[in-house]
Amino acid sequence: MGSLTHVTVNFATSHLIFPTLIAGILALLGLAILITKRHAIAGSGAYWQGILSAMDRVRFLGAVALTVLYFLLMVPVGDHWPNTGLGFLICSIPYVFLTGALFLHRRGARDLIPVALTAAVAPTLVWWLFTDLFFLTLP
Amino acid sequence: MDLFDIVTPLFLSLIVGGTFVGIIFGAIPGMTATMAVAVCLPLTYSLGLNNGLALLLGLYVGGISGGLVPAILLGIPGTPSSITTCFDGHPMTKAGEGEKALRIGIVASLVGGLISLLILDLFAPVLAEFAIQFSYVEKFLIILFALSVMAALSSDMLMGIFSGFLGIFISLIGTYSIESGGNGEIRLIPPGMENWLESGFSLLPVLIGLFGLAAILEEAEKGVPESMSAKDVKIGAASTFSFGIFRNQIGNLIRSSSIGTFVGILPGVGGSAASILAYTGAKTFSKHPETFGKGEPAGIVASESGNNGLTGGALVPLLSLGIPGDSTTALLIGAFTLQGVQVGPLFIGENPRTWDAMIIAMLVANFAMFGIMYFAIRFMARVVTVPKPILFPIILMMCVIGAYTINYGIMFDVWTLLIFGLFGWAAVKVGIEVAPFIIGFILGPSAEIYFVKSLESFGDLTIFFTKSWIAIFLWVLIAGSIGGSAMLARKRRMQEAFAE
Repeated sequence: MGSLTHVTVNFATSHLIFPTLIAGILALLGLAILITKRHAIAGSGAYWQGILSAMDRVRFLGAVALTVLYFLLMVPVGDHWPNTGLGFLICSIPYVFLTGALFLHRRGARDLIPVALTAAVAPTLVWWLFTDLFFLTLP
Repeated sequence: MDLFDIVTPLFLSLIVGGTFVGIIFGAIPGMTATMAVAVCLPLTYSLGLNNGLALLLGLYVGGISGGLVPAILLGIPGTPSSITTCFDGHPMTKAGEGEKALRIGIVASLVGGLISLLILDLFAPVLAEFAIQFSYVEKFLIILFALSVMAALSSDMLMGIFSGFLGIFISLIGTYSIESGGNGEIRLIPPGMENWLESGFSLLPVLIGLFGLAAILEEAEKGVPESMSAKDVKIGAASTFSFGIFRNQIGNLIRSSSIGTFVGILPGVGGSAASILAYTGAKTFSKHPETFGKGEPAGIVASESGNNGLTGGALVPLLSLGIPGDSTTALLIGAFTLQGVQVGPLFIGENPRTWDAMIIAMLVANFAMFGIMYFAIRFMARVVTVPKPILFPIILMMCVIGAYTINYGIMFDVWTLLIFGLFGWAAVKVGIEVAPFIIGFILGPSAEIYFVKSLESFGDLTIFFTKSWIAIFLWVLIAGSIGGSAMLARKRRMQEAFAE
């Protein structure tokens, strides 16, 4: 019994002990989930189809797309004015406006004015707060 | 003198401001106390630990309390922890007693918060003192116990356990830290990603993604439902409130607050469990259980004192063991990490001023919450009408700042935010539980060190069972939580089969 439970830890490979153990446990749990939930897993295609058909695709996918674009542009734009945080400011203004407009249900001029004002004021205020007051790096 | 070193005008302003903003977050359906803390975390970078915690604790107390406003006025829980407040609060609003219901909820929230604070002040130092004697073996078992409790209280135990271990697995990506006694080798990094993942995923972008971005994506999926217009919010001002209502509620208040605090102490169990258990307790002990769900003030008292009881309780395991009591306190770990402070058994002894500051901040936050909500009740009722198309883009922008500035300007942290935002949105749909996942993610690196160092020191697996009586006791608790949960699940399945 003593030899069964005895463990010698090799320091050079000690970084693999715990990840291997956790991966083993996850595999066992995954197997248990596969067995106990096989009917639900088999019907997962229809389940996801239901989610996709019920979702507001324009707002959801639009928000994701705008966010990806925002992240992609921030650094290249910021590289034109290094260490000023202007990449963040210049990209945040249209991002806040477009996301706000995307989330609106009516897009008349009266509805868009508060969104536009927010898009102008909020990023500028936050940019000033973080760069001038807190001295934090922004893209 | 010491007191005035901590309690500065800035400290007080941050608590009151944080509480105010927290109430707004809590009062808007779809936004939570956790989101409030996640979004405002970057503001603490330049504030110092005590002032930063003042802001975050104000947000926490305000966020939990604000949920009662839409629960009572609209019948929609502002936060998951105010779900049972709807049961009796909204029928009272429909009967023209909205203002009375709000005031009952506000007073109950204050009492719940204060009782839990008292328990925190008395209990956390004792538990920390006891935990100092723990070796790596007991510390590892404490983490295992925390995960087992979370899994046991998950809606699906198997998925709860899986989620916790998945969180641990993802936390192990990167280097086995030399600073913690590891060998400095990297593991689990996909080829080509070494530059970005050498230190693994940063905690804060993961948290902000899971609790900030994921929540907004969920709202976007639902089409960002429109906020109520001001004329649709009927507060029922004609109803009269008097503190005499609480004359028969002393037992209910103490019991519900204690239940909430106890649930808070259990790692990873959220406010919804606290309010549901407190509500069930109040109904069970009531002489008129049939009135619950039809506008019974005792139901609001139980629910609100229960969920605010959670606030102090959830800080007990965080400050004494380093284990977060709920998802919001998990974010507080981020604030401590930012300031280079380690939470655990030594925290209170080594940081007495921060401990005092936290107690004072919680006390002031509870009274600030009461003052703001009780005396500005009409304004607070209007908060539910704040348009989401204005708020959500600002929150998204703040999420980006939080992620980007955590490591002083690493763009990969911003992509981490997006990865975990999308993961958080999808996880709920496939049954992965976010609370066990995040606690596993936070505690994973510590669990690894405790486990491997125990084996290095003792060279035998039996040490986890034989090290001390505490280790044996912890195994009994682990077995009890999993066994108890399995039995309850089996009983539930049998009842369902019988009903069919």
